[in-house]
Amino acid sequence: MDNRVSAGAAANAFERARFTGTASEYFGIWIVNVLLTIVTLGIYSAWAKVRRNRYFYGNTVLLGRSFEYHATGMQIFIGRLIVVAFVIVANILAVIHPLFSLVTTVLILIALPWLIVRGLRFNARVTSYRNVRFDFTGSAGGAFVSVMLGSLVAVLSLGLLAPFASRWLNRYIFNNLRYGNRPFDTDPKLGALYGALVIPAVMVVLGAVVLSALIAIIVVGIQASDASSVESDPLIFMVVSGMYLVVFGLIIIYGLAGLIYRAAVHNIVWSSTRIDGRHVLRSDLSRARYAWIAISNVVVTVLTLGLMRPWAAVRLARYVTEHTAIRIEGEIGEVFTQFEASGTAVGSEYMSMEGLDFGF
Amino acid sequence: MVSDGETIATGEWYPPHSSAAVPARLLSRGGRLIAVTAEDAALSDGAIGKVSFTARVGSIPRRAVFTDGSVFESADNDAIDAFLRAGGKSGWVHRLEEFHPRIFVFAVAVVLLAVGIYRYALPALVEVAIFVTPPVVSEMMSYGALNTLDTTALSPSHIKEIRQAEIADRFRKVAANAEGGADRYVLNFRNGGLIGPNAFALPDGNIVLTDQLIELAGGDDEMITGVLAHEIGHVEYKHSLRQLYRAAGVAGLVMLIAGDIGSGVEDILTQGGGLLALSYSRGAEAEADRRSVELMRKAGMDPVAIARFFDLLETKLGDHSRTSMLSTHPGTPERKQAILDYVEILKRD
Repeated sequence: MDNRVSAGAAANAFERARFTGTASEYFGIWIVNVLLTIVTLGIYSAWAKVRRNRYFYGNTVLLGRSFEYHATGMQIFIGRLIVVAFVIVANILAVIHPLFSLVTTVLILIALPWLIVRGLRFNARVTSYRNVRFDFTGSAGGAFVSVMLGSLVAVLSLGLLAPFASRWLNRYIFNNLRYGNRPFDTDPKLGALYGALVIPAVMVVLGAVVLSALIAIIVVGIQASDASSVESDPLIFMVVSGMYLVVFGLIIIYGLAGLIYRAAVHNIVWSSTRIDGRHVLRSDLSRARYAWIAISNVVVTVLTLGLMRPWAAVRLARYVTEHTAIRIEGEIGEVFTQFEASGTAVGSEYMSMEGLDFGF
Repeated sequence: MVSDGETIATGEWYPPHSSAAVPARLLSRGGRLIAVTAEDAALSDGAIGKVSFTARVGSIPRRAVFTDGSVFESADNDAIDAFLRAGGKSGWVHRLEEFHPRIFVFAVAVVLLAVGIYRYALPALVEVAIFVTPPVVSEMMSYGALNTLDTTALSPSHIKEIRQAEIADRFRKVAANAEGGADRYVLNFRNGGLIGPNAFALPDGNIVLTDQLIELAGGDDEMITGVLAHEIGHVEYKHSLRQLYRAAGVAGLVMLIAGDIGSGVEDILTQGGGLLALSYSRGAEAEADRRSVELMRKAGMDPVAIARFFDLLETKLGDHSRTSMLSTHPGTPERKQAILDYVEILKRD
């Protein structure tokens, strides 16, 4: 085992990452996590998260070495306690007077950029590779602009400005990321990001056309039938199923378009990222395959009452990991880590409880 | 020679906070743990109790962390386990996680526990929550809800005062037998506007009756009273508060194991929770229907008056719909039959 990654024989060649976890091994970890979480009324979930992350990080192997997750269950438990206590206090205040819920909402909005930074920094600092920790140096102001304003712009423009939001978000995350004393930098091009938007946009337009055609058929069907029996069973059934068709149809179309866009952006961002100004990353996910894995994972998990979830999680992790590669320019040399403590997990826990999850 | 000790495992050694890995072996000698190079040069040295090993998870590499921050890393999990077990320390969680027949017992236990919590623990928790909720909460909720409705959907009633007094009089007779007596319930007359013929109860005992329902009844005052008795039932059983707590409980359960179920499935579970809440509200309607029968009987009025309201819904509004997954109320013909059956049961007692 060489202590240096040599650029000798395989100069300028990309080396793919590997995922060494297996569904059967993770099944054991997962089922014990769920069981102990239920038995301890949720308290164990903090330690469960640590074991889950240690398993996935520890099985992600790059250049022969794996990643390591260092957070402790106690750190995450304390973070969750603070979040839960805050939610309870906020709800009690809201009951005492409706005005208080306005105050707590404003407080959360003001604190959100700070919480985002805390979460990103915590997650970076509890991750290591070759005994060297990652770090995140972004500011709360940057989080406000790139994460909050960015997502607002993307939503308000109905997705048309999503590439701008993707660019701001990923530049904020990667340009503030450090591996020990080595910086990351990325500059995804707007043109490429708009290219990533073409297929999802076409999908949304086509989906909307098909949906409105179906609705038109239903409306015509209602009008064609005898007006005096407007309340008959099959018609009510048609109206109700039409409403469900619209709601679920829109969710499915946007979900699918989102998956395709996400995979394309992931490729663009990772492939334009460099470490220490030299070492190049690359990602070559197939959009169709990524979407297929994500969707079939959900279907299989639901059909097996959740019991195939470990298989699904390992399958997705393996696909993403094995389509990530790095090319070392020269030698990495010795990398130093710059800090020791990683603090509490409040920001990180708030993020994961509110469903905003930023993964690296 | 430092290598006189017993070799525990081979792997790599990292200096504190550095990526410069060195191939190394971990030795145990005289109560101390020592990391040495291939040439037997000592790298790190610490008392056995001071060196911390990371817990075993699957087959990922393990790390022994020395007090100076240097790290010995090895994928030889079994060797490290054998050493730790000899020292009386081992990871019981990892042994549970091993792919062993007992894991299938765990899987069955998880499914049974999940069903059990949903069927028994959740309703019990809802009851506790209802019990400890002060009345001020439902008063606040009702005040806000009625205010919102008055400014949006509802407008003042057009029904004449005398007619209102007649209906209110019958309402008080029925409410007198309800929990808390007639003073606990307040009847409000409103023009329903878009809501149409309807009556609904707020958790604090305020009941709203729309002009359109009075018109639809066409002078059948007992029928109106039957519908109001049904709404009194909703208040007595605290149905709206119960439903709120149930929804919160289901959301809490989903969150509890959220980290381990995956985001897509989490959304589906939340949606599914909504569908299950609908089936709960069907049960609540049936319960309120039966309460209507009881209250009408006690007040000396026609206990099946509310069934005539369903007849009316069927004939005038053509509502023959049967119960389905998507409805909040049970199918009208089924409700009518259930009411007639219940009257028979009460007669027998």
